[in-house]
Amino acid sequence: MTTEPTIKREAVADHHDGSHNDHPSVWNPMRWLNSTNHKDIGLMYLFFAMFAGIIGFGLSGMIRMELMEPGVQYFDGSSWWGDQHNFNVVTTMHGLTMIFFMVMPALIGGFGNYFVPIMIGAPDMAMPRMNNISFWLMPFSFALALISMFVPGVSEASKGFGGGWVLYPPLSTSGHPGSSMDLLILSLHIAGISSILGAVNFIVTILNMRAPGMTIHKMPLFAWALLITAFLLVLALPVLAAALTMLLTDRNFGSQFFDPAGGGDPIMFQHLFWFFGHPEVYIMILPGFGIISHIISTFSKKPVFGYLAMAYAMAAIGFIGFIVWAHHMYTVGMGVELKAYFVAATMVIAVPTGVKIFSWIATMWGGSIEFKVPMLWAIGFVFLFTVGGVTGVMLANAGVDHMLHDTYYVVAHFHYVLSLGAVFTLFAGWYYWFEKMFGFKYNAPLAGLHFWLMFIGTNMIFFPQHFLGLNGMPRRYVDYPDAFAFWNKISTFGYFVTMVAMIVFFVGLILSMIARKKGQANPWGEYATTLEWTLSSPPPFHQFNELPVVKKTDHH
Amino acid sequence: MAHAPPKHDYHIVDPSPWPVLTSLGLFTLALGGVAYMKGLFGIAEGNILTILPGLLIIVLVCTAWWSDTIKESRAGDHTPVVQLSLKYGMILFIASEVMFFVGWFWSFFEMVIFHEFRATGMDIALHENLAAWSNWPPMQNDGHQVQTFDPFHLPLINTLILLLSGTTVTWAHHALQQGDYKEAKTGLFITVLLGAFFSALQVLEYMEAGFSFDGSLYGSAFFMATGFHGAHVVIGTIFLAVCLFRLLAKNMTAEKHLGFEFAAWYWHFVDVVWLFLFAFVYVAPHIILGGGGGHH
Amino acid sequence: MRLHGLKLGAAMAGALMVGAGAAFANEPSPMAIGPQPAASKAAEQVTFFHDYVMVIITLITIFVTILLGIVVVKYNAKANPTPAKFSHNTMIEVIWTIAPVLILFAIAILSFPLLFTQDVEPTREKLESGEYAELTADDWITIKTYGRQWYWSYFIDKENADGEVETVEFDARMIPDADIPSVPGARRNLSTDYALVIPQGKYIRLNLAASDVIHAWAMPAFRLKTDAVPGRLNQLWFKAEKLGVYYGQCSELCGRDHSFMPIEMRIVPQDQYDRWLELAANDIDEAQAYIDEVAPRPVSPVQVASAQ
Ligand code: HEA
Ligand code: HEA
Ligand code: CUA
Ligand SMILES: [Cu+2]
Repeated sequence: MTTEPTIKREAVADHHDGSHNDHPSVWNPMRWLNSTNHKDIGLMYLFFAMFAGIIGFGLSGMIRMELMEPGVQYFDGSSWWGDQHNFNVVTTMHGLTMIFFMVMPALIGGFGNYFVPIMIGAPDMAMPRMNNISFWLMPFSFALALISMFVPGVSEASKGFGGGWVLYPPLSTSGHPGSSMDLLILSLHIAGISSILGAVNFIVTILNMRAPGMTIHKMPLFAWALLITAFLLVLALPVLAAALTMLLTDRNFGSQFFDPAGGGDPIMFQHLFWFFGHPEVYIMILPGFGIISHIISTFSKKPVFGYLAMAYAMAAIGFIGFIVWAHHMYTVGMGVELKAYFVAATMVIAVPTGVKIFSWIATMWGGSIEFKVPMLWAIGFVFLFTVGGVTGVMLANAGVDHMLHDTYYVVAHFHYVLSLGAVFTLFAGWYYWFEKMFGFKYNAPLAGLHFWLMFIGTNMIFFPQHFLGLNGMPRRYVDYPDAFAFWNKISTFGYFVTMVAMIVFFVGLILSMIARKKGQANPWGEYATTLEWTLSSPPPFHQFNELPVVKKTDHH
Repeated sequence: MAHAPPKHDYHIVDPSPWPVLTSLGLFTLALGGVAYMKGLFGIAEGNILTILPGLLIIVLVCTAWWSDTIKESRAGDHTPVVQLSLKYGMILFIASEVMFFVGWFWSFFEMVIFHEFRATGMDIALHENLAAWSNWPPMQNDGHQVQTFDPFHLPLINTLILLLSGTTVTWAHHALQQGDYKEAKTGLFITVLLGAFFSALQVLEYMEAGFSFDGSLYGSAFFMATGFHGAHVVIGTIFLAVCLFRLLAKNMTAEKHLGFEFAAWYWHFVDVVWLFLFAFVYVAPHIILGGGGGHH
Repeated sequence: MRLHGLKLGAAMAGALMVGAGAAFANEPSPMAIGPQPAASKAAEQVTFFHDYVMVIITLITIFVTILLGIVVVKYNAKANPTPAKFSHNTMIEVIWTIAPVLILFAIAILSFPLLFTQDVEPTREKLESGEYAELTADDWITIKTYGRQWYWSYFIDKENADGEVETVEFDARMIPDADIPSVPGARRNLSTDYALVIPQGKYIRLNLAASDVIHAWAMPAFRLKTDAVPGRLNQLWFKAEKLGVYYGQCSELCGRDHSFMPIEMRIVPQDQYDRWLELAANDIDEAQAYIDEVAPRPVSPVQVASAQ
């Protein structure tokens, strides 16, 4: 049959001529609502993350205020703080907000969107419209989560879900019959859809849109990090989605997956959750690993040491990350052989992570280091992540985790890798790319002060928590035995220091916006080798109209 | 400032209102769903109509979205490299779907494999409900024994139907590649019919089930796994039907028919999931644990 | 309720006094930076293992810090204006892959035996090997506990005069803050109205379950923690070695009063235990009064000025 239509390739040129010339003003809401531009979407992600970060920071402030002294100070049912249940709600929302709405959107959605296409020499993401839905699902998802705090939870009077970010049933099923948990489940479903779509987009972009000559082994490490992160997302999140769906039907449609009365098993949820949850923690740190590699190389004026090992170490971490999940469950009543397996598997992750730490140091070794602000955050990160990582190795040993599980030791561990790890990489990236993204310089003195205050403040918050945990203080406690008073007080003082750091951060941001010191295309010099530094600051609305060509001799 | 036409084959997509509107739709659907399940903001629970606004927005917006995509494809935006992107994207989407099903299989295995441990490893006196698991097939909560299906009855027929549909969709695909539109349409038509037939038989089977979703863990796990598969069959059938209409409307060519290819991949995926379901949910418990007076 | 400051000085003095007392009190201590004193041999092993790993990870951290220090001092732009060019060194990469592997082996070698000691009940074979020389089958006591929102229920089997087995059953709830001052030696957030009483020298098998949501029974001095899960019977064991009062707290988020369902355990000589059980079978209040008399809580090392 010859009557079937054929497609005319010439149509493309016509089509493209008219439609992309308009760059709506930043004040035009349609530019943001309808965006199909990876840089605009990246910026939206970053500002969304900043907003969520402020909320998450505020919630952590409520935790620290309450715990400043023994006794129930604020959550005593006499004010808008609510009662002890609301303390659990605040802790839960703090964890969820920081993870799903701050770190992930900032590192993956924000920096990933903005810089991965540029770094691999692509004009945009592979699926720009899908990219936009990945973003816009997030505010809606966050809205659902926030609404959940104000609708019935345990009972009509007891609002919000206070069962921890891990959502264990039966506390999340029969324990919270109200609508708040249903909203939270759907919120996470939507956040999950967003992340899966985003991850698919990253993988496709990286696999299919690298500029000529940009082989996979020439690709910048940040792109590598995002590639691996995206694979973790695609493989881990659907399992969470399944678990959440089972929670939803257990709650509303009479299924009994996690209900022992019908033969179901609450522990099954934990397996499903942590099969997602452990890869999730690497999802939060791998992009940061990528950022740190660039910053250290740039300011040491040396190429990254052991590039290939760095890339494959991340791949190894990602892979092993899938087979260690039950180290969060040593106390649920697992068989001893199973525990032994998870001990061994978990400890193995220290090896590729060590490769990364030592390679970063080797990159600096022999270098000519300039301690610009991004570099301060990067060096701070290497140190603090080591501290958080080695306490992870302590926890990996079930024999001692029996003592430490669900104590503040765990809280200290994961804040060292998250709040002092992932967040430090976030600020490192923020200052590293600030000028590139906005076209003007950050306020260097205040940025430096921000670093030092935050370094002191967060260490002061979280280092004493190791002591509390070792001495037996359980986590998710609104009130504690009086003996724990001292270190809790120090911890809360640390929070105040951190609060000053945050104020300095925002003041610095505002001052830099007022000063608008014009940025350069490449403020960091010849060792900032990735492609974003070849473009103007900020880069043109559509970069690489003509694709860059990477020569054989160029290094990554 | 005007741009020169890009000197690359990537697709720089125009700004589009659909993503944010779809997000709004999902948000509305979530609120409506919670209102239906639990009641929300003064809306009493139990009114299924509350999910309609969200659904409506999503259906309308997605229709607009996909017709934009088809328009762009017709306009030639889907250059070979863009097609490759879309292919990778579809493969990854299916990969994520596979992991979604891993969740259901996981829960089914846990239940089937460990049910004896559940029955004997625990203190039955304190958990008399668990006695339900002391023999196979398990007990409903109401004390009646679950009547599992005889796998070699309807399920086997359904297996054959899906396998057959796998071959007809391949037949259609080859015909389309050869430019034989007539055969392609026939093959696709039969595939859609077989898909619908499968769904119909599945409904029949569900109606005859001697257990229910909320009656026991067995029912929960069974209906969740086969139900999500069934939903995928329906989606796949619609997907194939859309391709059929596009073929009829001369909207697909021998050279370029990504939509068709994706529908076919999706169909094969649904097919493979069924084979696993058939083997592990229907046959294995039947053979290994003893049929327990299978249904029919 | 607000607390008006904390008398740290008094608290520390109190802590010293406990050491001098006859009974061994295990509870959190002010400004402590390490685990509570170990109350059993198995717990000592945990402390030892923790300290061992602690030394290793501290050395690793110091090593990394020193390297960073060298880099900062030697390779800053002023000290070293021209950067080196190298980006590979296979030898060093192999070393920093192998060395951590060896370190992990060194950790694992102690970690696995510890895990198996904790999780596997001492058996007759071990008895014969002399490792648990004092162990005979009669030395086991099985206690059942249920976590509930928000208290613990205990079930102890007791043989009565006719050789029939009856179950002694009681619930242990936290002593509310308001009552703390009037109960001698009571610890805020730790003491319960009825203590779980354990005879010294026995091996205890604790069976755990829950009736509503997941809880966890934790006893830091013994390094014990096991979840109490609805629909599942978990188990842990320990040996009651030293007389004294022991405190633990629920360690799995279980809702509103998660912070307020502590565990108070007293290890007493066998004859006191027998008497306690006898009394508890009829009247748990009487039993508690008896145990308060013969094995009282040590004077509190930490007293908060006022609980009101
Ligand atoms: C960014 C997030 C992140 C990262 C990177 C990690 C990294 C690691 N984590 Fe952590 N973890 C969390 C986030 C993270 N974790 C969170 C959020 C929780 C709590 C969840 C909850 O319950 O709410 C948790 C809880 C948690 C537990 C459960 C504790 C419990 O609840 O009882 C365990 C146990 O094994 C563990 C182990 C580890 C290990 C072994 C690593 C390793 O990857 C660390 C590897 C790094 C190093 C070891 C340092 C560098 C290496 C060297 C310098 C080489 C030489 C070193 C050696 C030879 C040791 N983590
Ligand atoms: C990324 C994750 C993350 C981050 C950053 C933080 C940050 C902080 N966390 Fe939290 N926390 C969790 C994840 C995180 N936390 C999780 C998962 C839990 C467990 C929840 C549960 O039990 O269920 C928890 C629990 C938890 C507890 C235990 C509560 C309990 O058990 O009851 C405490 C107590 O002190 C605490 C304190 C803090 C403090 C003071 C901060 C911070 O305030 C420290 C300083 C950090 C910042 C100042 C960063 C602010 C960032 C921005 C403003 C964004 C900027 C954005 C751009 C530049 C784009 N957190
Ligand atoms: Cu019971 Cu926490
Ligand atoms: Cu983990």
